[in-house]
Amino acid sequence: MNPLSFVRRHPETATIALVALISCLFVALTRGQWLSVGNIQSLLRLAAVLAIMSFGEAIVIATGEIDISVGSTFGIGALTFLGLAPVVGSGLAVVAALVSGILIGSINGIFVALIGLPSLIVTLGTLFLFQGIAYAMTYGFSFAATDAVRQQLVYQAIGGSTLAGLNPAILWAIGILVGLQLLIFETSLGNRILAVGGDAISSYSRGVNVRKLKFGVFVLSGVLAAISGGLEAAYIGYADGSFGALMELSAIAAAVLGGCHLSGGRISLVGTLMGAFLLCGIQSFLIILGFQPQWYILALGVIVVLASLVDRSLSRLIMKKVG
Amino acid sequence: MDNRSELDGKVSDGVTAGSAPLISVRNICLSYGNFRALTDVSVDFFPGELVGLVGDNGAGKTTLIRILSGIIAPDSGEVYFDGQRITRFYPKLAIALGVESIQQTIGLCDNLSVTRNYFLGRELVRRIFGLRFLAKKEMRDICAKVVRDFGLREGIDVEDEISLLSGGEKQTFKIARAVSFRNRVIIMDEPTNHLSVRERGRVNELAVQLKQQGLLVIYITHDIFQIHRIADRIVILENGRKVADVLRDAMSAEELEEIIRHGGVGPKVP
Repeated sequence: MNPLSFVRRHPETATIALVALISCLFVALTRGQWLSVGNIQSLLRLAAVLAIMSFGEAIVIATGEIDISVGSTFGIGALTFLGLAPVVGSGLAVVAALVSGILIGSINGIFVALIGLPSLIVTLGTLFLFQGIAYAMTYGFSFAATDAVRQQLVYQAIGGSTLAGLNPAILWAIGILVGLQLLIFETSLGNRILAVGGDAISSYSRGVNVRKLKFGVFVLSGVLAAISGGLEAAYIGYADGSFGALMELSAIAAAVLGGCHLSGGRISLVGTLMGAFLLCGIQSFLIILGFQPQWYILALGVIVVLASLVDRSLSRLIMKKVG
Repeated sequence: MDNRSELDGKVSDGVTAGSAPLISVRNICLSYGNFRALTDVSVDFFPGELVGLVGDNGAGKTTLIRILSGIIAPDSGEVYFDGQRITRFYPKLAIALGVESIQQTIGLCDNLSVTRNYFLGRELVRRIFGLRFLAKKEMRDICAKVVRDFGLREGIDVEDEISLLSGGEKQTFKIARAVSFRNRVIIMDEPTNHLSVRERGRVNELAVQLKQQGLLVIYITHDIFQIHRIADRIVILENGRKVADVLRDAMSAEELEEIIRHGGVGPKVP
């Protein structure tokens, strides 16, 4: 196969190469500390949690929309889980957290897919709205898992334990990645999701229900963000109103770094995973070097701008005719 | 407007004697904001007929076929398909009824492969553990065969994005897709745009063949001389109104051109 066609069909190629390169650089600059078991364990867990919500973001981006509200959905999912677990048990609390994701996703979906408002504005609104609700819910205190809750099997299965040194979130991320990869690239539903992002009117003319699909991807994004929030909450054990703040930026950055085109229709979930890993890798690198965590925000900003620049020039290169 | 009835009078049931219309459009009106795209248009379309839909830019041709292919709904008026009143307009229904349209600017998703575009909306699936997955190999083989049969350039990889095809190739591909599935109606909106002279000849031949197979072919064009050679009947729209609906033999291409030139007011027909 022509190398250009290979890259065109596998947009994550560049991200994988970049991750390998930067990882080597980090290992060298930290004299191997970055590669220590402890760091890799925490890095993989962080990347897994970020990746799950980024997958949802990537699929929304696939339809040509964007979901900025995932940071708040993450927070609401976490608070719902931790708030209800001591009262109704971890199992039902997980269900409630998923329902909260479905609800937020549905609100976004109604305004974007059914009413036709721009997703940027709608999800910016719901980002603030649910952030506000999260602050109001936790005014002056935080939700924490009680000792009884921590003993529950469901709690341990979603992040409150380790399996062979790995946090369950990593296994969840792999499982979800496999499921979504099949859904997007191996089913007719996935074909139609990509088609909508490529050309909504043309896909509509081929009988694709554009509104239903767009509604569906927002719900999916909400659910995945709530799952991420639940996994993080179960690991940390407590959450306050600021839980998940700015996570939406990391999720969008992971998707863009992973080769998802913001114009829609072209995404990579494996690339998104790599993007999430890269971002968390940078974060841990800065921590090892003794930088304050705030510097990560600055780095994130620079990365987002650079990534969109690369995104544009890469897509120009890739879409050149092969003749 | 006086000669409208005169021209309508030229319609004969000759070609379609005894058969009921497959599509019947009655008193259709449609406005985009203040712009009246269609005003009180009524046309019958019969199976096994090649109808040329002609008119200037903005005459309402594309709007009419967008209604027939379910993309937009009329503001008022009625549409019947095979005698059944159509009350909801959406492309999936049109496709299910066997109405396939080849439209100028829409129909392909640039980000998808040739194969995925070919099957968009009616993907082939196979069951694995009860789940339905795309039958990728089967789809690729079928699509590759269609692409070959339609004489698209050698070396087109059906797994490549369709954006790599040229304008003419895309148009040929859309036609190939439309005629490869079992349909009852083929609507072609300016199908020969972007095509070479030789390709044009082939598209026109194909339109006649489809008609001979018993399909209804609605062929939209600016080129009255071209359509006059192949159509059974010619419908002229002007400023959203039907100004002529005549059998091909009833008028010459020059006479029809006069009608268009004079905005629907044709010369006296002896």
